[in-house]
This record gives sequence, C-alpha cells and structure tokens, in this order.
Amino acid sequence: MEGLIAAAICLIIALYGAIRTVLERNTLLRLPFVNVMNFGIAGLIVFILPHPLTLVAAAAYFVGSTLEANAIASAYARRKPK
Amino acid sequence: MLEEFGRIVVAAVIAWILFLSIDIFWRLPQTGGVSGADAIGKAIAGRGGDQHGGWMMGNIVCSPDASAGTLLAACGVFVAGIPGGFAAAILVYIGNRICHDKGYAGTSGALIATFVVAGFMQVGFLASDFIAGMVLAILTIQGLSHTHASRLIGYIWRWRA
Repeated sequence: MEGLIAAAICLIIALYGAIRTVLERNTLLRLPFVNVMNFGIAGLIVFILPHPLTLVAAAAYFVGSTLEANAIASAYARRKPK
Repeated sequence: MLEEFGRIVVAAVIAWILFLSIDIFWRLPQTGGVSGADAIGKAIAGRGGDQHGGWMMGNIVCSPDASAGTLLAACGVFVAGIPGGFAAAILVYIGNRICHDKGYAGTSGALIATFVVAGFMQVGFLASDFIAGMVLAILTIQGLSHTHASRLIGYIWRWRA
C-alpha cells in the first residue's frame, strides 16, 4: 500500500492542472498549468507500472509534452498580429 | 497513513529548495531562453507578475530544467535505484538537446537529486515520497498563482544577482 497516497496526490494535481488549463483564457498562460498536469501524469505513469523501462516511457512522455508546449508557445509568440 | 503525508510534505519542501536553487544558480530567470519562454514571461508580467520570475516559469515550461530532472531522477530511483537516477539524467540531457537547451540545469538537477533522494532513503524516506513531493513543489510555482509565484522568484533572483 506504500505509495498509494503519493499516486493519489499526483492524480489529483494532474486533474487540477487540467481544470485550470480549461478555465484560463490566455493561451500563453495556459501552458504553465499544462506543465503542472505533465508533471502529475509523468509521476503517475511510474506509479501505475513500476518497472525499470517505465522510466523511459515517463521521460519520453515528459520530453514530448515539453517540446509540444515549446512549439505552441513559440508559434503563438511569432504569429502575425491581426 | 499520516506518516506518509508528513514525509511527502517534507520531501516537497526539500524538492522545492533543490530545484529552485539549481535553476537560479544556472541563471534561468535572467532571460527567456527561447521565443516561447520569452512570450510566456511577458504575458505573466502583463498580468502584474515579475518579469524575471515570468521568464523562469517560461523556461520551465519550454525545456526540461532542474524540476523535471528532480522528478525523473526520483522516478528513476523509484524503479531502479541509483543507476535509475543516472539513466534519468541521461534521458533529461537528451530531452534538453531536443528542446534546443544547453542542458546544464536539467542534467545537474537530475544528478544532484539522485544523491539527495538516495541519501534521504537512508533515513526512512521512500523514492515515491519525492515523486509526489516534486509534483507538489511544481504545483506551488506553476499552478496556484502566476503573479505571486513570479514575484517570489523575482525576489530570490534579485537577491542572487
């Protein structure tokens, strides 16, 4: 049972990040909340499947989502003002 | 059960101090590393936050920094012990290179966090406490109030600079 509370905390914080992301109106200010969600999910992946190779899955998820946030932010920053 | 809550809170405080001091040591609040991080910093400053704190929060979003290093190192120690922490440092370095970052903060954060987590495991903590603790620590910076978090980072940054 050890680690169950830790997994629950990761899940609750990931859900909280997702809800705050939906409620926020400014696209750029949504990204820090997405970041919180990514941290929670990456931790949760390791709790759901405790195996050495899971680390690669968690890192791939985290790096991929960070790269996406980076791409969204830079594309949004460079967009032409209407 | 309450004991695990207490350990997680203590681990969150340790992880918070660890990743903030490494990020500020590597000068993350100095400027937005990429155009996206710069834009996020300016958006946070536009809402009444601190410019340097906003840049650091943008940098955390746009590239795996010491906070990601701490999280993945704790995950690595959880699944495979200290070698798992080193593997996490390598994965964070690869991730940094993909995101056009030099990778100092993430890699050094993962390596230092590996030893911190392994050290605290000797005194009764679990690696899982540090995973949940790091998620709690990032919640306080990125998830509660951007304005207040950026002002706090800006205050610490001016003290360092």
